Amino acid sequence: MAENILVIGGGPAGLHAAIELAELGVNVSLVERDTFFGGNPKKFKYKYLFPDLQPAENVIGELIKGAESNNNIKKYLSANIESFKEDGKKFSAVIKSSTGSETKTFDSVIVATGFEHFDPAKDSKYSYQLFDDVIDIKDLERMMGEGNFTRPSNGKPPKNVAIILCVGSRDRHVGNQYCSRVCCTVSVKQAIELKEHFPETEVYIFYMDIRTYGFYEDLYWKAMEEHDVQIVKGRVAEITSGPDNTVICKGEDTLLRGPFEIPFDMVVLASGMEGGPQSPEMADKLGIELDEHGFLKQANVTLSPFKSNKDGIFLAGACTGPKAIADAIVEGGAAAMDAYIYAKKNS
Amino acid sequence: MEYDENGVSIVSNDFKKEIFEEAKKDFRYEEYVRGCLNCGVCTGGCPPHRFFDFSPRMVLQNCKSNDPALVWGMMDEYVWACFQCFTCAMICPFLNNPGGVIAILREISVRRGFESAKKVLKPYSRVLLKLTAYGNQLSPDMIQPDFFPDWGPHIGYASEDLPLKRKAIPMPTLQVTNLAWDVAPEAMKELYTIFEEAGVFKIIEVVDPSLYEIIQDIVDDVRSE
Ligand code: SF4
Ligand code: SF4
Ligand code: SF4
Repeated sequence: MAENILVIGGGPAGLHAAIELAELGVNVSLVERDTFFGGNPKKFKYKYLFPDLQPAENVIGELIKGAESNNNIKKYLSANIESFKEDGKKFSAVIKSSTGSETKTFDSVIVATGFEHFDPAKDSKYSYQLFDDVIDIKDLERMMGEGNFTRPSNGKPPKNVAIILCVGSRDRHVGNQYCSRVCCTVSVKQAIELKEHFPETEVYIFYMDIRTYGFYEDLYWKAMEEHDVQIVKGRVAEITSGPDNTVICKGEDTLLRGPFEIPFDMVVLASGMEGGPQSPEMADKLGIELDEHGFLKQANVTLSPFKSNKDGIFLAGACTGPKAIADAIVEGGAAAMDAYIYAKKNS
Repeated sequence: MEYDENGVSIVSNDFKKEIFEEAKKDFRYEEYVRGCLNCGVCTGGCPPHRFFDFSPRMVLQNCKSNDPALVWGMMDEYVWACFQCFTCAMICPFLNNPGGVIAILREISVRRGFESAKKVLKPYSRVLLKLTAYGNQLSPDMIQPDFFPDWGPHIGYASEDLPLKRKAIPMPTLQVTNLAWDVAPEAMKELYTIFEEAGVFKIIEVVDPSLYEIIQDIVDDVRSE
């Protein structure tokens, strides 16, 4: 008899895990809280994915198609796990969806509940939601996905744009002490896209560090060398309203100019990633642990990063910490293997 | 005292070290000085940074450098440029408190009676006198054009005919101009004890010996009443 595995979360990691397991002949139940699969990339209409700037739709669309066309995957949308309990080495879960409640027994479980974008309104110095022209990376990503690069306040091309890194990350005040890992790369990518769209627009990036890790290093070289993006070391201390419908960024250029107050047409906040309310909810429901950053805790970060602290429950994607879509997909596959081995041994 | 070309007083390396150690021993130091990555957000939000060569980021970096000479370099003019508004502490992502460090350094400067502290506190001697000797902070007779240029063009009018103006105030004003309100002798005696215990009189003795003598005469008078 085929194994039964529960995958919670239909983003990149969950979709990939579900497809891999289905290919192995497993009966997969894929539970997604939203009305659609694809997770945050779909929800916020990401446009291009780094490093190769391929259209997000190609990647996410492919995953969704793979899951939808596979009959071994039972798909639950607008669904949640209503109750969950251990049953020997197996698990019993009540899945509640628009079509009603269903109780099922599973051999193992993969949690791939992802992350939430940090809400920049929580850090008042950035005046997010106070000024129309202060947006964040997910807003810009969505706008660009819709082919719109103009200022939200008046629909005109911006003369200059400030991109501010590390918003809601690496900051003891907001409570997120970690680096969100992808926002530097996404921001530099967005700077290049902006410049390609409006070559006349001046683009500034205000940074504490540029962490375009690994092979993405040359992304900001390209931004500087081909697009003349201004990369300034200094975190912005305050955003206020300026003359002629501008917003003023106030800060210190720690290397060159000293104090600055520059009026910008548009400001993009590189807001980071958070575990979101779903992480504690899952920890609570499934009896697994949260880490000190509000993400789900890996049993052993290096040796068994896809295991939770509970046997038979596995973790994949951004629910264990900020990461890129490519990494989330890799983890989906790895967790699928772990979950399959566990199911095989115990079924 | 001799000064170098930056206006920093010249002292021995051992003395610089002693001062730095004194700062580090302060119970607040560890809480105020944490990691610092030169992000500059404190300086970006610091009001005096727009007017002077003063930067809370440098305050933190100088402390982190563990170089007593760099810390000493801030002891003269530098530490007095801070407004003590603590915007820096509100926004530093590492939870540093450069304004708090400044407070620690200033207290050392005052305790040790450094020239810069004396110079900065001189204009406040009238306030110090009123406060410590009479329990008042500001009295009408202190309102003089020279001392309150920031009050604008009306300071002249405001400082004239004080006794008459006092009479027009519809609440008990003691009908005097050298006090704002009446402090009972018992309360004053208690205040003196507090100032003594807290080391306030001692500090005044260090930074302004002649002021200290005036205050002590008044204290003795009140105590013997
Ligand atoms: S990836 Fe860059 S912007 Fe994001 S938190 Fe890390 S350093 Fe800051
Ligand atoms: S406390 Fe001092 S250093 Fe800090 S922001 Fe205010 S003036 Fe600047
Ligand atoms: S804000 Fe904090 S971390 Fe940044 S430069 Fe100032 S003291 Fe250093």
